[in-house]
Amino acid sequence: MLSIKNLHASVEGKEILKGINLEIKAGEVHAIMGPNGSGKSTLSQVLAGNDAFEVTSGSVTMNGENLLEKETEERARDGVFLAFQYPVEIPGVSNLQFMRTSVNAMRHHRGESEMNAAEFMKLAREVSKQVDLDPAFLKRGVNEGFSGGEKKRNEIMQALMLQPKLAILDETDSGLDIDALKVVSDGVNALRAEDRAILMVTHYQRLLDHIVPDFVHVLADGKIVKSGGRELALELEDRGYAWLGIKDDETAANSAN
Amino acid sequence: MKPAPTLLSPAFLHPAGQALPEPLLALRKQRGAALVDMPMPTRKTENWKYSSKYLKLTDEMATSLPTTGKTGSALAVPGYKVVFINGVVMPEASEYPDLDNIRIQRFGDLSDAEASDLVERLDSTLDAKAVQFAGLNTARFEDGLVIRLKPDAALDQPLFIIHEVTADASGSAFPRIFVDAGRNSQLTLVEEYISSGEEAVFVNSVTEFTLAEGANITNIRLSMGGENVQHIGATGVTQQRSSRFESHCVGFGGPLRRHDLRVRLEGKGAECKLNGVVVTQDTQHYDNHTTIEHVAPNCDSEETYRNIAADKSHAVFNGRIHIHPDAQKSNANMSNKNLLLSTGAEIDTKPELEIYADDVKCAHGATIGQLNEESLFYLVSRGIGRREANVLLTMAFINELVTQIPVEAVRDTVQARLSQFFDQAFQEV
Ligand SMILES: Nc1ncnc2c1ncn2[C@@H]1O[C@H](COP(=O)(O)OP(=O)(O)O)[C@@H](O)[C@H]1O
Ligand SMILES: [Mg+2]
Repeated sequence: MLSIKNLHASVEGKEILKGINLEIKAGEVHAIMGPNGSGKSTLSQVLAGNDAFEVTSGSVTMNGENLLEKETEERARDGVFLAFQYPVEIPGVSNLQFMRTSVNAMRHHRGESEMNAAEFMKLAREVSKQVDLDPAFLKRGVNEGFSGGEKKRNEIMQALMLQPKLAILDETDSGLDIDALKVVSDGVNALRAEDRAILMVTHYQRLLDHIVPDFVHVLADGKIVKSGGRELALELEDRGYAWLGIKDDETAANSAN
Repeated sequence: MKPAPTLLSPAFLHPAGQALPEPLLALRKQRGAALVDMPMPTRKTENWKYSSKYLKLTDEMATSLPTTGKTGSALAVPGYKVVFINGVVMPEASEYPDLDNIRIQRFGDLSDAEASDLVERLDSTLDAKAVQFAGLNTARFEDGLVIRLKPDAALDQPLFIIHEVTADASGSAFPRIFVDAGRNSQLTLVEEYISSGEEAVFVNSVTEFTLAEGANITNIRLSMGGENVQHIGATGVTQQRSSRFESHCVGFGGPLRRHDLRVRLEGKGAECKLNGVVVTQDTQHYDNHTTIEHVAPNCDSEETYRNIAADKSHAVFNGRIHIHPDAQKSNANMSNKNLLLSTGAEIDTKPELEIYADDVKCAHGATIGQLNEESLFYLVSRGIGRREANVLLTMAFINELVTQIPVEAVRDTVQARLSQFFDQAFQEV
């Protein structure tokens, strides 16, 4: 489904991604782990098409099509979904209006008729229950005044509404308490499907207790330095990143979480 | 030696229409005489600094537009309405409420005694030195409306005033309204300024409100004239004890748009809320000058203005709050936020605070910015088209103010005009 070859990207002239290679097939769940600053969010943002990041070489194809030459909205309509590490607050645009516009843009792209307000409301209520968000949140501004956990649940809610082909989840587990982590991982597990690929970016292994990945990759300084099965995540938890020769001050302190 | 200032052309000092009571004719004459040496605003005129270059009055525009004939394209609005065409009321197109405690009279229908009483009060809400063009209106009006609300009078629906100019020839119009709101009376007055025809015209309007104790008035002002209309308008308000004035000014740009809004809180516990939205595009202009005078103690004012400027347009906001020495426990809030949709657009904003009392709460803030790139990316990453994302974010900037407009028909009109604006402003997005 997704094929990343020798991907280099930089921001403000500074190279962040230094040759990423990654193949993801439909139905698979891949986890990317790595210390802070290793380039995980950069990779996620580049895949979603954020032009604050410049791709300097390499290629990304999705189902055989060149992803990099498409606009962000086209990628989204083709099924790319990014759950943001830091979801943006947009006061003045209600969550409901935002999601309905989004769902209808996708439907329009597929040649389907728009969902009317009532149909949409019904769907939105159901899905909000699934991620344990009070439907009252739908009326608030997009992410406006949401707690960290509420923002993450809102991202998962959008993924469930949009049913993407490729879901990229950037640290969707960070800042969640145990209960919220359960809700979010149930949501992600509900997304697992044969025709869908999931790329999970995480700093800690604890999410992987709930969502068992098929593959784990370690990203350090803009490169994938090691790939393996889920046992790699466990090993990282036991031994930190240091045994791979990677410096990471935080993980040692936080691995107990 | 200073060069002699350019004066208002004498061509502008000939009022038309004599069908007015004698006291009003005399007032007109007196005001006209006072304008003989009125200097035209220039770059150096403080309160016209950013706008004088847009004011292009020619002698062809000095003549009053004809007041007979067709009623133009006056909107089909529901309920009570009064239609002005070129500054003169069209009774056949109007629909007055039929109530004993609300009197709506044309200037021409006033008795001499009533007219004398009105003469005492006209211009009383506006400082003629600060708002010179209000004086021009008084020198030129041909007709006008006095709306008198007796104590406790309340109109069950909004009263619409449609001000249309039919610009089939060059000329000018001087619509005038005076609202005398008695104790505890209530009214929502909607003013819509529209135009038809293509010739260059000048509209010079004045609306005044005097609010007695406990009166509660809402004024919605929609400025939607065409690209051929230069409009200088003023709204003056005086408020007595515990009265409340709420204003919603929505303006779309033009070759010259100027609105002065002046509110004097003269009675203890009076309260005003002023909302404003301005949208400009192409090479349009819009200038709002507001002044809130806290004269009496314990008054509240809350002002929220938003400007959106696209293309090469130019919006100006000047908000002055003046807290007089006796106005202890004043509470004044002013917020002005500005959105530039293009690098060629210009917005000038200036809050002015003059505080002469010590026990007051006064907050103000002004910002100028562009659409947030991160927010745009977030929206398009959900498949929302770039154009639509721009529209959503621009609407987000003014939504709070648009939804507060308390009349649905007006909100619909505003939304429709905004859609046109977006179609053009984001056509290349
Ligand atoms: N917009 C940006 N401008 C400048 N530097 C950035 C920007 N975004 C990320 N970086 C830098 O790129 C590197 C990788 O960041 P990021 O991809 O966020 O890492 P991770 O998600 O793995 O913590 C860091 O050194 C970070 O400071
Ligand atoms: Mg990150």
